[in-house]
Amino acid sequence: MEKLLEFNNISKAYPGVQALDDVGFSVKGGRVAALMGENGAGKSTLLKILSGDIRPDAGGISIDGKAQSFESPHRSLQASISVIYQERQLVNDMSVMENIFFEDLPVSGPGFVNRSELRRGTQEILDVFGLPIKPADIVGRLSVAHQQMVEIMKAYRRDSDIIAFDEPTAPLTDKEIDILFRLIAKLKERGKIILYVSHRMAEVFRISDEIIVLKDGRLVNSFETARTDEAELVRAMIGRDIGDTYANLNRSDNIGDVLLSVKDLVAKGVHGVSFELRRGEVLGFAGLIGAGRTETMRAIFGADPIISGEITLEGKKVRFRSPKDAIANGVALCPEDRKEQGLVLGRSIRDNISMPVLSKVKKGPFLDVRAEESLAGEAVRTYKIKTPSSEKQAGELSGGNQQKIILGRWTSGKMDTKVLILDEPTKGIDVGTKAEVYQMVCDFAGLGIGVIFISSELTEVINVSDNIIVMRDGRITGRVARREATEERVLALAMSDYQESMERMV
Amino acid sequence: MTKRINKFLRSKHFSLVVLLVMMIAFFWAFSKNHSYLGLNNIRNILNSTVIYTLLAVGGGLVIIAGEIDLSPGYVGTAAGAVMAALLNSTGLPWLVVVVMCLAIGVVFGLINAFLINELKLQSFIATLAIGSFIAGGFAYIVVDGKTLEIKNDAIALIGTGRIGGFVPYTIIISTAVIVIYGVILAKTKFGRCVYLCGGNREAARLTGISPRLMSYILFANSGMLGALAGLLYDARLKAGNLTGTNHYVFPAITAAVLGGLSLGGGNGDMLGCFLGLLIISGFNNGLVVLGVSPFWQNVASGLLLLLALTLDYLTKRGTKGGRAHGKAAGV
Repeated sequence: MEKLLEFNNISKAYPGVQALDDVGFSVKGGRVAALMGENGAGKSTLLKILSGDIRPDAGGISIDGKAQSFESPHRSLQASISVIYQERQLVNDMSVMENIFFEDLPVSGPGFVNRSELRRGTQEILDVFGLPIKPADIVGRLSVAHQQMVEIMKAYRRDSDIIAFDEPTAPLTDKEIDILFRLIAKLKERGKIILYVSHRMAEVFRISDEIIVLKDGRLVNSFETARTDEAELVRAMIGRDIGDTYANLNRSDNIGDVLLSVKDLVAKGVHGVSFELRRGEVLGFAGLIGAGRTETMRAIFGADPIISGEITLEGKKVRFRSPKDAIANGVALCPEDRKEQGLVLGRSIRDNISMPVLSKVKKGPFLDVRAEESLAGEAVRTYKIKTPSSEKQAGELSGGNQQKIILGRWTSGKMDTKVLILDEPTKGIDVGTKAEVYQMVCDFAGLGIGVIFISSELTEVINVSDNIIVMRDGRITGRVARREATEERVLALAMSDYQESMERMV
Repeated sequence: MTKRINKFLRSKHFSLVVLLVMMIAFFWAFSKNHSYLGLNNIRNILNSTVIYTLLAVGGGLVIIAGEIDLSPGYVGTAAGAVMAALLNSTGLPWLVVVVMCLAIGVVFGLINAFLINELKLQSFIATLAIGSFIAGGFAYIVVDGKTLEIKNDAIALIGTGRIGGFVPYTIIISTAVIVIYGVILAKTKFGRCVYLCGGNREAARLTGISPRLMSYILFANSGMLGALAGLLYDARLKAGNLTGTNHYVFPAITAAVLGGLSLGGGNGDMLGCFLGLLIISGFNNGLVVLGVSPFWQNVASGLLLLLALTLDYLTKRGTKGGRAHGKAAGV
């Protein structure tokens, strides 16, 4: 019999937000339904209700026409539902096999774990996936991509009828994405119901049968994937036509003299990088993940040690011994990982914004909370951070708003930022906010700041930057101006061998 | 104003105050002649918080910054032993001796910070080793395995003297310490940096704060307050004791955690810490006043901690559910 999963008029409120408002739709067995929407649209809440993590205020879930009530995640598992979250739920100190079979360890005799059976079962799953890891490998020592795959294998092992993925591909490389998509296709054939949350358009079009769009907790529409296109989806998600984001950017093409010059920089993962950044320029750094872009910037910023090389800022030779040193000289870095390196999630928006300027918001020996408040208020207004007040904890905001806090931190009235390094500033944020971030980048450049814009999304890095530097394996493999940049050309440089590209450049 | 009251009612402090009041009411009701709330007994309770307070303040700051320091009790014993030895065998003025002993505490703290920041040892292990083995052993060596009597009037006066014949100097000292540190933590840049380092060390570093420098300062400070605790302890006894303040660390940390400091760092404040200290000391004292067998006192202390944590959980859940419910009904 064909499976059927129904969400019946689900509502859920949190203090100050209606996270879900009367959301109802259904998915049939053997189909992949993509859930799309801006951050804060309610996708995660919906998944949490499905997994029994939280309970809806009204409405409920039914499977094959039978109403379900999940008092706990355990009950949801029993109903043959697996939800794979972005945050991995693995025991890092244990092996792959123990993690995969955690809930159902094979036992022999008086309760001893049957390790050979465990190994065999795990190997079977590993063979299906075709990954170069061993059952006894310790999870914490695997790459992030492989850890994510272990999480997926855990769900696969349960053989659930309903499997939900929350942005599963964010940490994956193309190779694992292919494996995952083949697996999803296989699960589909076997009549499983798949829910797939993603911000990536290309993926959604590749993998899904239908697309359900949420906005502000309401279901906007559902589309047959084959009968819709990107423009229609974007319209549905943000409620208006954003038109051509890039063409509409308000740029200042006033590029000045050289601000920062880096010569033969060598650091861990960086093998001789040289480039120049001018005042008012947006300098894009393209490349595949692991190309050494983050490492280059961290070394310049003083966050990681420099082995050799020369850095000149405004004509003066500098070498920052610490981020503190860099900040004092007007260099700022927005790190790639907002939650791990950018924000103190447990503190307020205000506290996060004033972090680098605490010495400048003092009244005698004490902090001047009013001055902090006005800095934070200014950032909230300028960047339209969605929050009732700046006392809200940073951890309670959506990804896009969190990114705006970090941008606000470096561009507040008390900062004198000359070089602003943005490492993947649009990672994991929705289309609407992305467009806002692009405009911010151009505005910063308009103020005469030199902006370094690292991005692994080709389209955005090509269209937002004035000039693009392409890196691979810790080396620069090409430089392209926006006018001459095409995705094909940049991608070719990003994947080219160093030797080859040197020859081409000569 | 109502906003403030509302905030307080939802805060961790409120549940601690409730617990404290309930506990006081209980012991008051069941103590003979209601002697639990007699002035003398209140002084006893406060007196017994002195050592814990100093250790909880120094150790508490370290905890808020995301590490742990198990050594200050042992460091206190060592500092006290040195004080006794120096006063007995040299003619140095008492104030010089006290400053030297506090400096010993700072040195032990710096050693801790060095092991943690440069050799990358875990703070739990490093401070346990430095505390129980090195500082503890050092104390034995200094006093040569004996209890040294302290014959110094100034020290004896600090340890046992009372203002107006009633309020002990030691209580004044420990109260001043917790108030001063409370203000530093809540109001200054340094205090904010303690929270930021505990909340996210890497984010703090990338915004120009030096978690390493903070770590050195906080461990040195914890060592210094540990030494101060040891000096006051020995001053009270008028003797350099072999085990001194060794066993005061865990109750002090328990009180701090009870008061809302999470061991993960980034949370809590000195007011909560103070309430936690009052509850633990008041409770232990109450058991003595009621004549509970010492064997049962440990069990009762454990139950108190459980009760406090449960209460905290229930109030948190209550306000969360209540707010969400109120919102749904109100809109």
